[in-house]
Amino acid sequence: MGRVRRKRVHKNIKDIKKKARTRHKTKDIDQIHQDLRNENARKLLQQSPDMDLPGLAQFYCLECARYFIDQKALTDHKKQKVHRNRLKELKLEPYTQHESDAAGGMGSYHGPKEAVTSKEGIYPLLRYNNTTKSLWCA
Amino acid sequence: MRLVKCYFCSSTIYPGHGIQFVRNDNKVFKFCRAKCHKAFKKHRNPRKVRWTKAFRKSAGKELAIDSTFEFERNRNIPVKYNRELWNKSLEAIKRVQEIKMKRQHQYVKNRLKANTAALKEADYEEVKQNIHILEEPKVKKEAKIKRATQVIQEIDMDTD
Repeated sequence: MGRVRRKRVHKNIKDIKKKARTRHKTKDIDQIHQDLRNENARKLLQQSPDMDLPGLAQFYCLECARYFIDQKALTDHKKQKVHRNRLKELKLEPYTQHESDAAGGMGSYHGPKEAVTSKEGIYPLLRYNNTTKSLWCA
Repeated sequence: MRLVKCYFCSSTIYPGHGIQFVRNDNKVFKFCRAKCHKAFKKHRNPRKVRWTKAFRKSAGKELAIDSTFEFERNRNIPVKYNRELWNKSLEAIKRVQEIKMKRQHQYVKNRLKANTAALKEADYEEVKQNIHILEEPKVKKEAKIKRATQVIQEIDMDTD
């Protein structure tokens, strides 16, 4: 067996590239902030059954923008680190071009504030419990 | 000529550079180079990536709030050419830049200065704790001399 190449092999990491393609684009954080607004959240949590989506689109995680196959999978997901990290990430208001401009020297940069998504205050929806889904549909 | 800031790293994008991504909700994202575009595709948060301006400023590494930042703006009303105004603007740009640089340097200096006492204290502690490393050759040397003198004395005694 010959020498195993160790340099210049990073271009072969295909899973990252495939994941990042526009074809596989997932929702950005600012879009999820929009989803968390009450009017959008209701629509997403009360979808009509869709045969093409996992679990007929009945078990949706708003914060992670993912469909699950059943209630158990969804509740398990809510306990996971990915989900908890996402909750943490959503606590600050989303990054915008305006913030980027300020960081680049167009105006003073005041840093991110805590996110406010609805009249009721900061993330009333983040506190919702899956078992009492109806609470949010009311 | 319109100059825009990169969505990710906040550097200025000059005409003919960078790439633009239009999301399916019509939102436009402009990137200065492939590095920034890739980072965006991987859903990186610019506030957490250490080489971006957003990180530097949100983490307090650089001067973020200052009146000198109020001059650079996107102006949507065209200004008619006026030689006098043009000259004055150029002068003003130079002066503002000078003041801005001065303040930025001072800011960094002050930031680092706050830490010097703590660093010195830490150095002192480290030396204090590991002083034996420094002492050892000296002790060894002394032992060597001691042994040598003993040998000399023994030789002297023998010759006597």
